[in-house]
Amino acid sequence: MINAFLVFNGQGQPRLTKFYTQLDTSIQQRLISEIFTLVSNRPSGSCNFLPLPPLLAASSTSHSSTEEQNDVPSLVTYRNYATLYFIIISTATESPLALIDLIQVYVEALDKLFENVCELDLIFNFETLHATLSEMIIGGVVIETSLDRIVSGVRAQGTVAKRPVNEGRSTIGSGMGLGGNFAWAGRV
Amino acid sequence: MFEKSLYDLIRGLRNHKGNEKEYIQKTLKECRAEVRSQDMDLKATALLKLIYLEMFGHDMSWASFHVLEVMSSPKYHQKRVGYLGAVQSFRQDTEVLMLATNLLKKDLAATTPTIISLPIATLPHVITPSLALSTLADLLPRLNHSHSNIRKKTLVTLYRLALVYPEALRAAWPKIKDRLMDPDEDPSVTAAIVNVVCELGWRRPHDFLPLAPRLFELLVDGGNNWMAIKLIKLFATLTPLEPRLVRKLLPPLTNIIRTTPAMSLLYECINGIIQGGILDNTDDVAGADEIATLCVNKLRGMIMMNGDANLKYVALLAFNKIVLTHPHLVSQQEDVILECIDSSDITIRVQALNLVKGMVTSDNLVLVVSRLMKQLKSSLPSKDRRLPGSSAITPETESDDESQTAIIAPTTQETQTVLLPDDYRIDIIERILFMCSKDNYSSVLDFDWYIDVLTQLVRMAPVPRTFDADTGAALPIRQQVDVSEKIGDELRNVAVKVRAMRATAVRAADIILDQLLSDNPAGHPLNSGALKSAIWIIGEYSVQLAIPDDSLNGLLQAIPRIGKPEISAVALHATAKVFSSIAGSELEPWTSERKSRISLLLARILDVLEPLALHPSLEVQERAVEYIELLKLTAEAASGQPASTGENDQEPPLLLTQAIPSLFSGWELNSVAVNAQKNVPLLEGLDLDEPINGNLNRLLFQTDIITLQSDEADDFEVYYHQRPPPSSISSSAPAISRLADPGDDMASSYQQLSEESYLDADILAKRKAERMEKNKDDPFYIPSDNILRTSTPIHNILQNNNGPDLDIDSIPVMQLDLDKFGGSSLAAPSRPQPRPRQRVLVAADETIEGGDSGTGRQNDSENGSSNLAKAKSKKSKQHSLLQVDSSTIGSFSLEEGDGSKGFDYERQQREEAEMQQAMKEVERLRLEMQRANERIQMAQGAEVQGVVITKKKKKKVVSKKTAEGEDGEAATSVKPKKKKKKAVAQTSEGGEPSGTAANTLDGAPVKVAPKKKKKKASLVEAEAAG
Repeated sequence: MINAFLVFNGQGQPRLTKFYTQLDTSIQQRLISEIFTLVSNRPSGSCNFLPLPPLLAASSTSHSSTEEQNDVPSLVTYRNYATLYFIIISTATESPLALIDLIQVYVEALDKLFENVCELDLIFNFETLHATLSEMIIGGVVIETSLDRIVSGVRAQGTVAKRPVNEGRSTIGSGMGLGGNFAWAGRV
Repeated sequence: MFEKSLYDLIRGLRNHKGNEKEYIQKTLKECRAEVRSQDMDLKATALLKLIYLEMFGHDMSWASFHVLEVMSSPKYHQKRVGYLGAVQSFRQDTEVLMLATNLLKKDLAATTPTIISLPIATLPHVITPSLALSTLADLLPRLNHSHSNIRKKTLVTLYRLALVYPEALRAAWPKIKDRLMDPDEDPSVTAAIVNVVCELGWRRPHDFLPLAPRLFELLVDGGNNWMAIKLIKLFATLTPLEPRLVRKLLPPLTNIIRTTPAMSLLYECINGIIQGGILDNTDDVAGADEIATLCVNKLRGMIMMNGDANLKYVALLAFNKIVLTHPHLVSQQEDVILECIDSSDITIRVQALNLVKGMVTSDNLVLVVSRLMKQLKSSLPSKDRRLPGSSAITPETESDDESQTAIIAPTTQETQTVLLPDDYRIDIIERILFMCSKDNYSSVLDFDWYIDVLTQLVRMAPVPRTFDADTGAALPIRQQVDVSEKIGDELRNVAVKVRAMRATAVRAADIILDQLLSDNPAGHPLNSGALKSAIWIIGEYSVQLAIPDDSLNGLLQAIPRIGKPEISAVALHATAKVFSSIAGSELEPWTSERKSRISLLLARILDVLEPLALHPSLEVQERAVEYIELLKLTAEAASGQPASTGENDQEPPLLLTQAIPSLFSGWELNSVAVNAQKNVPLLEGLDLDEPINGNLNRLLFQTDIITLQSDEADDFEVYYHQRPPPSSISSSAPAISRLADPGDDMASSYQQLSEESYLDADILAKRKAERMEKNKDDPFYIPSDNILRTSTPIHNILQNNNGPDLDIDSIPVMQLDLDKFGGSSLAAPSRPQPRPRQRVLVAADETIEGGDSGTGRQNDSENGSSNLAKAKSKKSKQHSLLQVDSSTIGSFSLEEGDGSKGFDYERQQREEAEMQQAMKEVERLRLEMQRANERIQMAQGAEVQGVVITKKKKKKVVSKKTAEGEDGEAATSVKPKKKKKKAVAQTSEGGEPSGTAANTLDGAPVKVAPKKKKKKASLVEAEAAG
């Protein structure tokens, strides 16, 4: 299952935090900052997976049984779009490559909802971020991967606010080169 | 006051660069006021702002009651904010959750799909067993909702319910199964069901075997890659239970492998084949081989493919799984894997390292380790460049201007050479140690090399941090472990286990000590963990020191600077040992030079030890005081004994030559397996609680009077210095077992040599005769003349050296022995050992066979096994962060077909009655709270609006009944479950699964009761006060 879905920017400031298990606010913040440390030190051309941050690694070092391992968060997948990092923490039951695509679907859904999404949209409409996510993932289980259904699900909840005028903008859509970037074709 | 919207808050944050903290505090204050307002719009806006600030770490748990208020708003956009607040801020201990139950139930029954979605999406975040119990009946009908969106969200929520309250699965499973079987079901709902089944699958695979045909159908013509991936993962857990599935699965899987354009699906197919154990399918050897080669080749291709690091990573991940079952397949790929060790990407490196750890053999060990060493060395950070932890990020700061910046690559790599983080360096070092010490050093051919590696590693080990750089909190134990201590321990293990290498190890320890002394400027404490073992080696094997005086010098320099008490304690012993080997020679004539040299040495040592007599650590203090007194006596004896002149030959003082050396030259120390102690069988008739001697007090009193009784055989001395009868504990180490043979008499005579003062000759003779008599008829008793000794206790070395001046009459056996082992590995103490042969003898840990706990890994090196034990014990104690505890669901029985796993119905009813009782209490409490709230609001002069809470006790009972009814109904559609349940409950009481189910139920009322009391008390106080 998916244990957490996080979005933060290049300075480590959170833009969306969603933990699918209850966790103290202070520990959430520590985890975010640990992951940010890891993610911001990646050399170019690295893979989209992070080593486990110390907070998580401490508890998953022993490999006593595969059953237990299936329950423990063991995979941190990230993707970088322009100024933003999207992170998924998940257990071994999720497919690593599929998670990369899942982030892509999420960003594309946001792009469709906001029309050329940029970080500002996400700051001012963080409620929509949550709404979009809950159309894709409930309780840590992926329920929808089709772009159109996600978008229509969010739209059914009400109009998506446009970003405020006269704020500067830089799209993350252009930065992410939707669909490119990866060697395998075919979306999950 | 003019209220701020979220938009204003964010703008405000951006306009208050530099003093965000102040601004946030102001805003939080405003929010506190606003969230209490009666204006629902204002309340909701304030809550939204609080949720936004919570994201940055500002606690909002105090607002949980207001969250509840907003959740109950009739307006959707406000409700949504309220529910978001609940998801983001409710924790295990949020008390108002109890009050939310009715609201959740009401919203679940709403007609608008968007409103129904809110509680469904929120429940997984706040679920507790009691909440699950009360909302289950409202959730179940939602599985038949006309909107597919609601259906799929509901079934996932039911799954999360089942994790905390397994009974939910019993009620929900038949319905979910129907949905899965229905070919007309919306494909996205089917996909969601597959996701849920996949999550459940590894916990209880047996339940899903009957679904295999339908799942297979979905796999073949599903068309949804995401679902296909999940199906393959699910099948991988099913095939071990049903081998016949393999034949059916192989064609579609190979087909997908050959045709799919989606790399993720291709990868998961390969992964599924590996995990499902399809590779070892015995039916069709040729086919399995073909598949295996296909998979491995594809994976190899993934690693080779340039430019896609992700594929490299997942391929290594897959290899890591194959290596457990098919190590030979992976070791064929050694070349590409070794390539990955040097990748610039740490994630890939770690995976490759994991792999290499499993594949290392004596052939490639040196290659692998030298690669890793090179990595460590080239990435050694120069001291000034080290960044102070992760202090660069402080999530509390609120500078928001970055959002406007143009797209710049945030990857600002300073240098091309990768600076490895300390954690990773520690990891590499630990892996090197693990690889080399694996299977009792079976892969290490050249111990000279290994000791050099260890010496080098000590220099490269990162300095341990005991405190987190940014939080200041103590780090978890794992990170506090000083890796250099492990390196030192490894060196010590080699010194103990590999006799042939002992001299080299001693030299290495000497070098390490010198190095540490010269590296750390004077005045800096020495804290390296390696010091402990290095000093121990120097002391224990002091006879093998090249220049003992230099080593003693080093020790004396080091002692005042040692920062850790446990190292100081070791150093004290070591000093005494080295001194004893320098000064204890019996053969050297007691000349005036020797006398003055020893007096000087003693004065120096005493000078160093004296300050330690006031050491804060008791252990150090005690040892220091003991040695100070002993050495003072020795100094007196040395100065009292006149030096021998030309004509007058004087013996050196006995204290120097006999007493002190005898302190340290008992039996050789051997490595003992971790669990050996546990395996010592308890003797028959041995009662550990019985006092050994009822007259203990009298005896103790006597010892006070008779201070030193020299002419009595001392049990203690006998225990330490005489060989135990061979039958007691036979060691598994070959060298040791040879020692434990009838060499007995000689060895004990060595001891007696210095112990003549304690033991009379007749006792010795008697003991010897007894032993010989006992072993006379023992066929396993090898007569002493056949002994081939490879080594002897250090003590012998001294004797060996001292030959001509020995009092041969007193130790006749000794001479005999000397003749026999003259050519063994034992060399003159001052000379380093010769180069080792290709295969040196590595002593195994001593243990006792037969016990179940220790035998399995008796050959592991101490480091490895103790780590394992540590990790295991830790594991059992703590759950991982973020981990969902699902331990109950695995043991829960879904199908009641197999009689023994009954469901204790009566007990459940009892629990339910208790629950009812607790609910009633809660209800009353809620009313009281509401009343108190009203009073407060009245006092504030505001109109009472509050939360719409009505007493719904009755309804709950009804709903519970319907839940049970539905349960039964659902069950009858499959099989007559309920009746069976009862019958089973009568026959088998308290089977394991029902026990756990009952336990989860049990927890709820217990939790409720104390809380309620507390609150009531506080309410009473409040009433009294106001």
